[in-house]
Amino acid sequence: MTTLLATPAGWPQILLARARKAAPVGSPGSATATGPFAGLRIAIERLGPEGTIRAIEQSGLRGRGGAGFPTGTKWRKAAATEASRRYVVANGYGADPAVSIDQVLMERDPFGLLEGVAIAAYAIGASEAVIAVRAEYAEAARGLEAAILAAEAAGFLGADILSSGVDLTVTVRTVQGAYMLGEETVLLKALEGKRGQPEQRPPHPAERGMFGQPTVVQNIATLIAVPWILVNGAEAWRAIGTPDAPGTVLVQVSGAAANGIAEVPTGTTLAQIIDLAGGVVPGRRVKAVLVGGPSGGLLPATALDTPYDFGPLRAAGAHVGSGSIVVADERTCVVDLARLLTAFCADEACGKTIPCRIGTRRIAEIGDRVTSGRPRPTDLQLLADLSHDVVASALCDHERLATLPYASAMRYFRSELDDHVLRSSCPAGVCRPIAVAGVAAGY
Amino acid sequence: MSFIPGIGIAKGMALTLLRFFQPKVTIRYPEVAADVSPKFRGRLQLLYDEWGTLKCETCFQCAQACPIECIDMGGTDTKGRYHVHWGAAETYGERRDESALRRSGRPVPDEAYSHDQPMNLEAVDAILAAYDHDPGSMLQILGDVQDTYGYLPVAALKRISTSTGAWYAMIYGTASYYRHLRFDPPGQSVGICRCTSCLISGGGRIQEALERGLRASLGKTPLSGGIRLEQLPNHVAGASSPLVMVAGEPVALTPETAEPWARGLAPQSGTRAQA
Repeated sequence: MTTLLATPAGWPQILLARARKAAPVGSPGSATATGPFAGLRIAIERLGPEGTIRAIEQSGLRGRGGAGFPTGTKWRKAAATEASRRYVVANGYGADPAVSIDQVLMERDPFGLLEGVAIAAYAIGASEAVIAVRAEYAEAARGLEAAILAAEAAGFLGADILSSGVDLTVTVRTVQGAYMLGEETVLLKALEGKRGQPEQRPPHPAERGMFGQPTVVQNIATLIAVPWILVNGAEAWRAIGTPDAPGTVLVQVSGAAANGIAEVPTGTTLAQIIDLAGGVVPGRRVKAVLVGGPSGGLLPATALDTPYDFGPLRAAGAHVGSGSIVVADERTCVVDLARLLTAFCADEACGKTIPCRIGTRRIAEIGDRVTSGRPRPTDLQLLADLSHDVVASALCDHERLATLPYASAMRYFRSELDDHVLRSSCPAGVCRPIAVAGVAAGY
Repeated sequence: MSFIPGIGIAKGMALTLLRFFQPKVTIRYPEVAADVSPKFRGRLQLLYDEWGTLKCETCFQCAQACPIECIDMGGTDTKGRYHVHWGAAETYGERRDESALRRSGRPVPDEAYSHDQPMNLEAVDAILAAYDHDPGSMLQILGDVQDTYGYLPVAALKRISTSTGAWYAMIYGTASYYRHLRFDPPGQSVGICRCTSCLISGGGRIQEALERGLRASLGKTPLSGGIRLEQLPNHVAGASSPLVMVAGEPVALTPETAEPWARGLAPQSGTRAQA
């Protein structure tokens, strides 16, 4: 089990509050012990569907799945679309293999998740909800199924929830087998039993999603934040973190620092987050920080004062992504790391669009050339042009972000790239470039 | 070469004249394959008949013939159901490796191959009945069939196709997309984690060393047996990086030790030929 990092006293604990002290899941009593569905009660008895959506809109909650889409806007769109049925899908497919935030939340706070799902379904008028759980998280799936039974027995789910006349069936579906399943339209394809390829947007899933019906797809952490907002009020959520994306986020630190999950208010700097994990391993020095998972950006040690927030991270050349922050020490070669990350993204490309299928592979091949000492003088220009074209013609965020490792390496580690491309040498001593006479001489 | 005015246009006209007298050739496609230059880059185009209806009958012959599986199609009939597809699309996954070898001039292993081995399909029928023959539950059906047989036999896929009404090629497309579904019996495999912290601590170089040592590329089934190199679905919590697993047990490897270790693991190709 991944450790939950302690945060300084006074920092809000919202998403992890119940996960920290939760009793072993599965016992029916824990439905009331961990939270008596107070948020759902407020939504049904006090706010009504329209009031719930307005409260979420006022709170400024943005999806924690990486893209940061405003949750209230999404719900309003789904509720406003004419349809015979609507769906809520909780995306519990923690795609990033190094991150276990979703797993921890689902295993230790299943009732918080169910409450969030129930509120979302009530707000948009959905009578069916699916919790998509990664098949490797077998314990989480079992715990959720037990929790659903317990909640149904207590009248929080199932037919006529809290005597409101609203029905809600929640099912747990296990999915596995592709990194792309973290993308919402791909996940919906998998739930429909099809090949997992993203769809053109618009129409967004909130208008036309699973089986052609309006579908709200939300990250686990987003749904767990929803009950807290209803109980404590939108203003309380707004008071935390930055005005642009208020609230707290979950991050997982790994690499050359202790591996652990922390809940931090948005706007906390990267340096503060790494310090929560006890800082860098003694004797090492931060060379780069990979923020956002395999398709994240490589930020240098000088950018550690970047606040952890959607806007500033994008401006710095990284993104929130899966919430992973991997610390690379000075033994890492940034060029080699970017090559491996791009190769991973190219392997995981679904193959639907040509810029992604071929473009990311070409970028990885440029990386192969550069790190094996066979660079071409034009490679850096080609890399920049190709990255631009792939981003410009992207269908989904996977290909848009797959260019980030090299784009950020070019921005912050240009001298190291130049060493590889122009002088065929690797300062970190990781790659074994052979300086070929004639290639190295002229530049 | 001496310059003769008008020689170019004369050459061109001569070729035109030559073609003029050559007989027209109609190739009995698909019985006879057209002679296509290796540099040929074609463009796919769907033709319409004189009433403006698509002539394409979604017979999937093009999808089956395509050596790199870039052709795919989908559609529903007038009642909104999937089209039933009866073709032999199962051949193309297996033919792909063969065709790559043949094109590159390397020898093609002569393995007895039957795409539809007779087998007991009662388990498949039971699974299909449990899911109400619904193509919307395709992933659960495929997962359960794989749990029963250990892999997805072609005969089972065919039965799923005929009984759910989903095209074989669509089922094949679904099954080939997901990494946990496989088309051949599970063999010995080495798993390697590709998470970011494993990549940072040298996992990428270990993967390349293992690929050399096992003579296998990640995720690909070697054409003639051998140990597979597969990507672990996620990093095992608490395990150290970089992570390599064999039969559920982590192995401590460095980029230097990985290749000799993999060599020791792999069955030698010579002994396989004698066996």
